[in-house]
Amino acid sequence: MSLSRRFGRQFVVLVLALAVAFLIAPVLLTVIGSFATEWSGVFPSGFVTFQNWREVLGLADTLGSQRSMGWNTLFSVGGFGVAVPSELFFSVGLALGGVLINLVVGVPIAYAVARYEFRGKEWVNAVSVLPLMPGIVLGVAFLRAYPELSGTSFGLIVGYSLLKAPFMVMAVRSEFESMPLRRLEESARSLGASWPRTFLTIIVPNARSGIVAGSIICWTLAAAEFNFSYIVAGRGTQPLALFLQRHISNSTFTKASAAVSMFFCIVVAITLLLQRVGAHGFTTRRT
Amino acid sequence: MGTPGQEQAETGTAADLSDIREPLLSLSERQRERLRLLALCAPFAVLLVVAGVYPLWEAFRMSVSVQPYESVGFTLDAYQELFTDPYYRTVALNTLWFATLTTVASVGIAVPIAHALRKYDLPAEGLWVTLVSFPISLPGIVAAFMIIVLFGNTGVLTNVVATFANVEARNIAIATSVPGLFFAFLYSMVPRSTLILRGTYAEIDEAAEEAAQALGATPWQTFRHVTLPQIRPGVTGAFILTFRTALAIFGTLIVINALLVWTLQISREVAGLAFPLAGAMAVVFFVFSFCFTALGLRYTSAEVGL
Repeated sequence: MSLSRRFGRQFVVLVLALAVAFLIAPVLLTVIGSFATEWSGVFPSGFVTFQNWREVLGLADTLGSQRSMGWNTLFSVGGFGVAVPSELFFSVGLALGGVLINLVVGVPIAYAVARYEFRGKEWVNAVSVLPLMPGIVLGVAFLRAYPELSGTSFGLIVGYSLLKAPFMVMAVRSEFESMPLRRLEESARSLGASWPRTFLTIIVPNARSGIVAGSIICWTLAAAEFNFSYIVAGRGTQPLALFLQRHISNSTFTKASAAVSMFFCIVVAITLLLQRVGAHGFTTRRT
Repeated sequence: MGTPGQEQAETGTAADLSDIREPLLSLSERQRERLRLLALCAPFAVLLVVAGVYPLWEAFRMSVSVQPYESVGFTLDAYQELFTDPYYRTVALNTLWFATLTTVASVGIAVPIAHALRKYDLPAEGLWVTLVSFPISLPGIVAAFMIIVLFGNTGVLTNVVATFANVEARNIAIATSVPGLFFAFLYSMVPRSTLILRGTYAEIDEAAEEAAQALGATPWQTFRHVTLPQIRPGVTGAFILTFRTALAIFGTLIVINALLVWTLQISREVAGLAFPLAGAMAVVFFVFSFCFTALGLRYTSAEVGL
């Protein structure tokens, strides 16, 4: 009886189990710890309190209130202002802006690579799919290239969109590759639709599950982007990743746990949404 | 993008062709296809130039500038300092050995994970996949926090070990040391390597493995001689891309600054307003990581299936 026959499988499964424990156990502990008043022993203690969450969300006053999430007026209509946790919504908006740019740049180039044969196709493919620019390099470059723009929302959005574009291209391209593009295009053209019209009203809507999946991935990654934001972001309302960093570096352990847990909630919500859309996308394609 | 844009506006039938449309009709099918390709690639090219190429060019000008706050003149002082100062050599070496070590460990762990997820009929396989993939969306600072939760002064594992070994917890806490940083890097890198390798594993020809098993090969022999040759391009690709990830990690180091690596030093140069040096470091970093990826993916027959 060989060693690998007897223990091989157990060993491989053990590696998987240990890895999952290593990755997920601290996540669970953090969420649990965020409801505790104290965490100095092995396990957090003093359950259950929502004080940490209230402070993180800026619903309760704290010492050093700049560490909690500020509530600003998002917009006002006829004298009525709508207050929101500004950093959360600021980040949501920034990441959404990045996704919008990604849609405009990513979907067409994914189609070009999936549909056509042309010279230099490998290069176009490589440039669009590989994340060539590390966030911190781009941050330094942005600081000098656009001194007024970097630190503004627009600068952050443009930076996010370049950093996360490969993920959009990848998601959309694989969707395109599973579609009978040539047949779709030729039927639409033969029925009298112009090429731009075919692209916008036939091709793109048919790839929507890939596009939605790509948008969600890009959104999550842009909301979590720290390296670029850290170098570039100016004063004032800051992106979520910097808000997290401020808590991890400066707050009490339980309060930092609450801040990180809030981020987990966002990620989980987005992941579930992604899976829902993915599953939905597959069923529509089969029918 | 002028002509394709105008073409976009045109949605009518052949009867109401405008003057703008006329020249397009006279084009050959091949020329039209080329125009379409241009139109499709143009938005991405614009973003790449505006947000990537031009800033990088400015970073290069900053790195050869005589003045720190504006780009004037030409000097290679910053590069000379970078390549001759032993301090920066130490930073570079730190970066390289640590990235290599963490990459080897990550890919080494990711292979069995991908193997188990693909080959074994595990209960709740989808759940395992989700759990392993979850940390991909977490930024480096959160990875660092996870390590503090496990290995910090009040960390769970630290305290469990301290209780059993009867020592002071803070004496054995490793979260803010190099081993802690190692685990923090793994936290970010293992899920990414796994993602790449799962793509590779999905393409394996299982008939050959079954034949090997039927002929009496042990699981290890089957893996070594049948599976491994098939996944080798994917493993190489995973090495290259995971190594790139390791080089680019920065947020983790803000929380656990146990080791001075390139990215951390760049941020220190920016904070110290040493802009030419920061620019030079950014340019060197970009050139290295670009060449490494391009050459690696080109000459190792690595296949990237992210």
